[in-house]
Amino acid sequence: MKIGEDKLKQVLADVFGINVKTIDDTTSVDTVVEWDSLRHLNLVLALEQQFNIVLSGEQTVQILSYPLIKIVLEEHGVDFICAK
Amino acid sequence: MTKEDLQVALSRITKEPTYSVYTAVSNILDRLDPKESEMPALKLVILRNFTVDPLIPVIKGEIASAGFYPVIHLGGYDTIAQEVFNSQSAQYMAQPDLVVISQWLEVLAPALTTRFPSLSSLQVNDEIDRVLTTISQFITVLREHTKVPIVVNNFLLPCHSAFGILDVQSEQYQTHAILRLNLELLRCMKKFRDVFLIDYMSLIAKIGSEQGVDERYWQIGRAPIGRNALIPLGQEYGKFVRALYGKARKCLVLDCDNVLWGGILGEEGLNNIKLGTAFPGSGYQSFQREILNLHDRGVILALCSKNNEPDVLEVLQNHPDMLLREKNFSTWQINWDDKVSNLMRIAQELNIGLDSIVFVDDSQFECDLVRERLPQVAVLQLSSDPSTFSASLNAKAYFETLVFSDEDKKRNQMYRDQSIRNNLNASAGSIEEYLTSLEMVAQVGIVNDASIARVAQLTQKTNQFNLTTRRYSEGDIRIMQSSGADIFYLKLRDRVSDMGLVGVAIVKYSGQQAEIDTFLLSCRVLGRRIEEAFLAHILYYVKARRNCRSVLGCYCATKKNQQVTDFYGRMGFRLATKTELKYDWELVLEEMNFLTSACIKVNTVEPKDGK
Repeated sequence: MKIGEDKLKQVLADVFGINVKTIDDTTSVDTVVEWDSLRHLNLVLALEQQFNIVLSGEQTVQILSYPLIKIVLEEHGVDFICAK
Repeated sequence: MTKEDLQVALSRITKEPTYSVYTAVSNILDRLDPKESEMPALKLVILRNFTVDPLIPVIKGEIASAGFYPVIHLGGYDTIAQEVFNSQSAQYMAQPDLVVISQWLEVLAPALTTRFPSLSSLQVNDEIDRVLTTISQFITVLREHTKVPIVVNNFLLPCHSAFGILDVQSEQYQTHAILRLNLELLRCMKKFRDVFLIDYMSLIAKIGSEQGVDERYWQIGRAPIGRNALIPLGQEYGKFVRALYGKARKCLVLDCDNVLWGGILGEEGLNNIKLGTAFPGSGYQSFQREILNLHDRGVILALCSKNNEPDVLEVLQNHPDMLLREKNFSTWQINWDDKVSNLMRIAQELNIGLDSIVFVDDSQFECDLVRERLPQVAVLQLSSDPSTFSASLNAKAYFETLVFSDEDKKRNQMYRDQSIRNNLNASAGSIEEYLTSLEMVAQVGIVNDASIARVAQLTQKTNQFNLTTRRYSEGDIRIMQSSGADIFYLKLRDRVSDMGLVGVAIVKYSGQQAEIDTFLLSCRVLGRRIEEAFLAHILYYVKARRNCRSVLGCYCATKKNQQVTDFYGRMGFRLATKTELKYDWELVLEEMNFLTSACIKVNTVEPKDGK
């Protein structure tokens, strides 16, 4: 099933309480002040529930930026529609 | 962040309750000024021995959905004992509304969960006793400082029991040891007032331990609640908040065709509607059984159907497979008018608010119409498959409560009697004649242990005839009693039925001045002038027994209690000060004329001397 990136961006916006429009490939733990360890756990739980996947322990610590999240989700078979 | 942002986010919870949405609500709440939210604060203290943090956004979202601004104090990781023993000095314990103690057995008694085969049966019993003693001690110490409700969890059955298939063969092994622990925990908690169990065991069983418990997060951060259990568990805590502080729904209004039976009665006729012990009629019958259970738990039932009334009544009276009968319904609107008007009539006839109603229908059109025109009404739209009906009704948890009183058991009968009285009303000449014809007998007395639960319940639920709308728990009432206030009850019966305890008044004293803190009547006895008799007896008591010279009463305006704006004025009180939301009234007792109604006979139960 193909999924728009907006669905993923909405999860990040919800979890970190930031505007969905500010999220792009530069979004990472270094650029988002709200991205602390507690919210990181919330992010993992929200992604797993939203996309019905289970991340490995290693993956949960890898996903520290928007591009990395996309790569890991794609490894789990989530198929993003390419944005132009 | 504004109130509007919060409303938008809360409506997302209703539509798609995902974890992501709950975190969004939680973030908005953190940035919204509590005052700007215009919601009363609800203070929750959570003491825990594991990482409950991922649960917090869901709990906050649920509290906000129930209409409160959540203020949460989260105790440190595994510091319950420290926090409990310091609770007298701790600021956050000053005035919480609810205390949650959340414990994971693996932290509390690791041997029971992870090294069970190493224990002798004596050691197992010692471990169980140790757990129970620890929790009881926490509660005992907490109860020295606070009377607020406390919610304690029970414990999960193991996902893989210690002895495999052998485990369940003996009472001595793990499965039965934990079942025994949970049963003993209930018995221990019953010794305290207002301590409630939250059923982790059944909740996780429903989700499945493999889904509900997450070994990864347990290892990484001592956060064992799995992603599929976070929302149901947070919502379960939300049910406690709603049952204790929120407004419970009271009345279930049902459509008929394709809800209580399959097919269209007007087209197919009594003999051809689908209802019985064989599929698909069995689905409708099982839904009726579930509705009967709600009826027996005190939920008022009503019908709202586009049909010819005699046709539906014939099914209620004569269809052999109907479980619901005419006598189970307090009222009905069976006609061809629109359902919005009919729901308003039902609310008016039963004298309940639209926000007390749950409306069940299978039609998208009817459901959308009601959702749009009467947003206060909770709408449950059923699918076309009757085997799903019971589950979808239960899943919504509309009627959750922590009290089940004798009044609840009799409620439907009482509301039905009310409809009979309304018919009497139509035939009697004057209101006095009608009231006299009811042969009312009231009893006024001082609240005791047997009636305190019902009294607290009335302060929680009464909206219309309620001068101050102050909500009290059983604990609050006991505190007021022990600090010298008089808590009066009013019981009423008439020739149709015994309505039980229907009125409460709380009077506090300061020297020779009395202040009426609370004065309320259940909506099912309004319009009988019973309030006049009740107040007159209280004033008499205050003057004769408490030697008071004057009495203060106040009216605090809410959206629901306009009908009592001028109540004290009508009773001879003088208006002292007045603002938009609060009127203060005063009465000098020497000047008082004791108004009593000739229509009501009142018996006073005198309290024992010295009390």
